Amino acid sequence: MNDELPMTNAGKDAGAPSSIHHSSFSFFNSIRWRLQIWYGVILVVLLAGFGATAFQLMRGGTYRRVDDELQRRAGELSQLLRQPFRNRGQEGRPGDRPERPFDRPPENQLPDGPPRGRDFNFDRQGPREFHLPDRQAAFFDEADTNGFYFIIWRRDGSELARSTNAPVDAVDFLPRAPMPRPQNNGDGPPKDWIRLPAQLSPHMHGQFREIEMRMPPGERILVGRSITRQLSDLRKTALMLAGTGAGILLLGLLGGWWLASRAIRPIEDISATAAKISRGDLAQRIDVSETESELGRLASVLNSTFARLDAAFTQQRQFTSDAAHELRTPVSVMLTQTQTTLNRERSAAEYRETVESCQRAAQRMRRLIESLLELARLDAGQQPMKHARFDLAQTARDCVAHIEPLAAARHVKITSELPPLPCTGDSERLAQVITNLLTNAITYNKENGEVRIEGETKDGSVILRVSDTGTGISAEDLPRVFDRFYRVDSSRTSGNTGLGLAISKAIVEAHGGQMEVTSEFNVGTAFTIRLPLS
Amino acid sequence: MRILVVEDEVDLLRSIAQALREEGYAVDTAANGEDGLLNAENSDYDAIVLDVMMPKMDGWEMLARLRKSKKTPVLLLTARDQSRDRVRGLDTGADDYVVKPFDLPELFARLRALIRRSAGQTRNVIEVGDVTIDVAGRHVARGGEAVPLTAREYALLEYLALHRGELVTRTTLYEHLFDENDSTMSNLLDVHVSNLRKKLGAEFISTRRGHGYCIE
Repeated sequence: MNDELPMTNAGKDAGAPSSIHHSSFSFFNSIRWRLQIWYGVILVVLLAGFGATAFQLMRGGTYRRVDDELQRRAGELSQLLRQPFRNRGQEGRPGDRPERPFDRPPENQLPDGPPRGRDFNFDRQGPREFHLPDRQAAFFDEADTNGFYFIIWRRDGSELARSTNAPVDAVDFLPRAPMPRPQNNGDGPPKDWIRLPAQLSPHMHGQFREIEMRMPPGERILVGRSITRQLSDLRKTALMLAGTGAGILLLGLLGGWWLASRAIRPIEDISATAAKISRGDLAQRIDVSETESELGRLASVLNSTFARLDAAFTQQRQFTSDAAHELRTPVSVMLTQTQTTLNRERSAAEYRETVESCQRAAQRMRRLIESLLELARLDAGQQPMKHARFDLAQTARDCVAHIEPLAAARHVKITSELPPLPCTGDSERLAQVITNLLTNAITYNKENGEVRIEGETKDGSVILRVSDTGTGISAEDLPRVFDRFYRVDSSRTSGNTGLGLAISKAIVEAHGGQMEVTSEFNVGTAFTIRLPLS
Repeated sequence: MRILVVEDEVDLLRSIAQALREEGYAVDTAANGEDGLLNAENSDYDAIVLDVMMPKMDGWEMLARLRKSKKTPVLLLTARDQSRDRVRGLDTGADDYVVKPFDLPELFARLRALIRRSAGQTRNVIEVGDVTIDVAGRHVARGGEAVPLTAREYALLEYLALHRGELVTRTTLYEHLFDENDSTMSNLLDVHVSNLRKKLGAEFISTRRGHGYCIE
């Protein structure tokens, strides 16, 4: 981000062309940044979800293992509390206290009448003393501060026993409400009353995990252990998960940036090339080495567009420069004539000659300018064209009649074969085309040559052909005869502007027709006009 | 100085030729490349003014063919002012070019420079003893005082001065001072030489009997 901002400003400062490129830049307008942000968000959500789930599973597993241990130990203790007389009866030796886990007086709160087969040696408060047998003591390693501990409360809340490593602030969480007195149905205490201790689900107490159990008569057993080590292990795991997640996120973002950059690079190439082209360097093309992708196809399309633009601009430039060149010669004539004449005093005849020469030059410029304007209007489609039905054969006959004096002067014979040729369009414009073709055919003909004009209707088209018996046009020149300012002899002496055929072709095409030329060297040339039949 | 003008635009050809003649040059004209090449190959011109766009043979082709046999300085007249056209002209062997439309004084100045360079001169003022010849202004002075000369006398003096130290034959002088339309008689040259001697000193031009003239 911080890298990008100064670049953006530099781009703006660099001037107008690059501001086209950069002015609208912001992080939310940059595809790369948008991709990156989306990518990042998705990655963070996925990683966080995965990490949280993994941590939960791990913590649950840890607690369950601890809880299972606690449960087992609580079960052992409750077994001891529940079965005092079995032990005593088996031992049968008074005073052998350590062997007896409980010295349990008859339970007054038990249902009336001792249950059969049991020795109730409880006082009113339950067992008076409690001794942990070795087997059970092994479960509670009092030397280990992380070891399991237990606390047993009597039913009145006073402590019956406590392992030395039990925390001093361990609290009895079980409610103290008196146990409901079970219904005595006459055949002893209900089994579930004896067998099913109430239990408080495992809970945390500071750094300790504890479970608490209530024995049916009212004793409470609390078994716990410090899980500092497990907690610190879990913390380490959490940190590791977070670290791994951050690493993956970083790698993912870098990879995403790389991918986005790769994906964006062709667009940047296209944009840079387009910027160069907009600055006027029309020869630039986009590198389409990766042509198979969507962007490659876009680049190809753009390249062909650029090529067409380039060709159009080149043609336009050529036309403008040609037009300027064509105007240069008459201007040179006028300048040279007037400068020479004005150098000294001249006779009236000399002045007259100069003025006449200037007039000729000016008329030539007028012809040229009119032709250029006509062509420009035809190019722009602004030339007003009539849209009327007429007979092209009649138009052609009128043109022949007009041109006859020129043909006679050159000793050229005009023959015509003109059946009715119904057309739609501007007959004056098409007459201009025919006159131009006839003039060329006469001008470039041989002495005593022939010009033939013939028409036919064929395949929904009107065809008019003007052919001569002149010297013909070489194969090299033939494709260029319709080019603007193209003259077969590259001179200007004939007085034509070099635009006649170009204008004729433009007029025919404006009528939806085509114009073609065929020529054979030293045999003759034929121009064919093809117009839609009306 | 004799100059060939090759230009297909009749009005332009006529006015350039007239202007050059009035500047004291002997001028031949040709209306197309073929005629121009024929003229250029058969005479020793001091310079050729050559249009590029012409019928039959364009200026570039005529120049290329001429360069096979002649070193005559060529000034191209061109309506094409694009760099590549100028480069093409100069590379084909043209010595200079003027873009149409041009001003006559510039055309004259460029022609003078061409002729001067081809004669090995670098300055427009030639000094021979106490005589100074200003080629650009066509003035001649002797000891600081202007000497009035006719156009023919000046042309003769300028040619001899540009080829100072060389023996210039009468044939050469005829070729360079008179165009194909001049109906001159041989003794006219002697008249101009003797007039120059009167105005600039008897020893100024030396005569080698049977060979020609020379300015030492």
